[in-house]
Amino acid sequence: MRIVCLAKLVPDVDNFQYDHERSALIRENVRLLLNPADATAVAIALKLKADSRAGSVHTVTLGPRSAMPHLEDLLRRGVDRATLISDPAYAGSDTHVTSHILAAFLSRCGFDVIFAGTHTLDGGTGHVGPQVAEILGIPHMAGISHMDPESLSEGRAQVRVESEEASYTFALQLPAVLGFAYAPEPKLPFIRYEALKRDLSGRVEVIDNQALGLAPEQVGVLGSLTRVRKIHVKGFRSPNTRFVRPDDEGIERVYRFLREKGFVR
Amino acid sequence: MTRRVLIYLDPEGEADSIQLLEAANRMYGATGYRSYGLRLAGTCPQAEGLLDVLLQVEDPRVRPYDAANLARCVEAAHRKHHFDAILIPATTFGRMIAPRAAMRLHVGLTADVADIHREKGRIELVRAAFGGRMRAVVAHRGRGPLMITVRKNTFTLDARIRRSTDIAPLVVDGITEPEVTLVERRPAEKAADIRESEVLVSGGGGIKEHFDQLEKLARALGGRVSASRRVVDAGLAPRRIQVGQSGKTVSPRLYIAVGISGSIQHVMGLKEVDTIIVANTDRNAPLCSLADMVVEGDGMEFVDRLTKRLLKGGKG
Repeated sequence: MRIVCLAKLVPDVDNFQYDHERSALIRENVRLLLNPADATAVAIALKLKADSRAGSVHTVTLGPRSAMPHLEDLLRRGVDRATLISDPAYAGSDTHVTSHILAAFLSRCGFDVIFAGTHTLDGGTGHVGPQVAEILGIPHMAGISHMDPESLSEGRAQVRVESEEASYTFALQLPAVLGFAYAPEPKLPFIRYEALKRDLSGRVEVIDNQALGLAPEQVGVLGSLTRVRKIHVKGFRSPNTRFVRPDDEGIERVYRFLREKGFVR
Repeated sequence: MTRRVLIYLDPEGEADSIQLLEAANRMYGATGYRSYGLRLAGTCPQAEGLLDVLLQVEDPRVRPYDAANLARCVEAAHRKHHFDAILIPATTFGRMIAPRAAMRLHVGLTADVADIHREKGRIELVRAAFGGRMRAVVAHRGRGPLMITVRKNTFTLDARIRRSTDIAPLVVDGITEPEVTLVERRPAEKAADIRESEVLVSGGGGIKEHFDQLEKLARALGGRVSASRRVVDAGLAPRRIQVGQSGKTVSPRLYIAVGISGSIQHVMGLKEVDTIIVANTDRNAPLCSLADMVVEGDGMEFVDRLTKRLLKGGKG
């Protein structure tokens, strides 16, 4: 069983700095991190491998060259092979183009099942999983909270999806794209001391558009069907925030404030 | 020119699907379009009398959770009727159907549209980006229909105009035996929903071991308790009361956050909250910048004292 995991590096949005004078987010030098739901997917794949239910785990990432140290980190944690698809021509690609680029690589790399996170922290559209599945002509499921490892050996995946309406159990024919929801467990394995010195050469490859051969008008901004026209920063209203302490005076002020607002009668 | 709008009527979110008529109203005006609903035979009866046309899929192989076949249905409907817009509710399955359908039609897709307005005859789609810190105006290129998904509770249909509804079967070529089969469906427990509460007292990592004590403050204010992801991940509160990107979006009139620093994933879950009170030891916690009032200090001391004060009542 060859598992390919789609793994995206996203800006660490929690630690964005905000420039109050220019009303803009400072995006320079923002740290990248492995998208949490993708990390869940990789962790599940590595657990399957550790339990001898999967033969190999291969991560595929579309992104800038600065993603490289993160991919080496994944190799040290037990991933067998990492591919970075990186080309300046791909900058500005929307989810439609991104899906085509990934599918172009996936259709020739070989896999039995594709794992991914359902959502990313940055764009968060959840489009890439189902769109890759559509191009490859295989089934897809998103929001998976649990997978029955036994089912994989029977050429299918039995998965559980929780929604507000119900808890569903589905069986998907393989190959398929399985989109996992972020979960605190399992976590990525720790890096063992021996792995720090492991020779990673030959296990990480960088692929550009020359290798994939997509037409220039199909990729990047040119190929994209959606475009962000403008961005408004919101959520930084600075009302006249009142500061109090949880002492008698402070609590009395909170109480009176709640009365004024009609929350206390 | 009368526009044509297709709405996918998800059997797992029928009421939310019908609300999308309001999104169409924002696009073309209430009388500026003809509304088409795509439904599976035997589902969504409440659409009758509200939409102009119901395109009905009668092939029993098409199931509500089978995104691959449903995307073929959306495509077939469009090839026949040439819609100006295709609206899909951002339900569990709508989110899987829309991207596949957009790929088949080779059109752009904007997810989780939060607002729609018209500017100089052009439709502007607004969605949250970077975890709700920014609002992005998205433009679609090409000639295809404007395709969007819309989250629950985003638009509210006020005036329900009664229409006479034509019901027409939709013939779809290329339907396959489903590659996804439903093994079991268990309805979620219909527990109290935090989205329906006007007052929420929410606890975070700063007070997580005392989380159960928030209940008394919530009760004194006639509200409910909710939680941040850290509390849920620690197993101290159920996922259904989680506020934020991986939880629920809430719009209470009053939100009291105790020991929550306010990551953007958390702030994303707050929509049109009237009043925010934050109790935190750190006055520079991100959520404090959104607060009307910040109680700087121990969160549980605040909870205890305010609860006592509320129970005492009077003008003080």
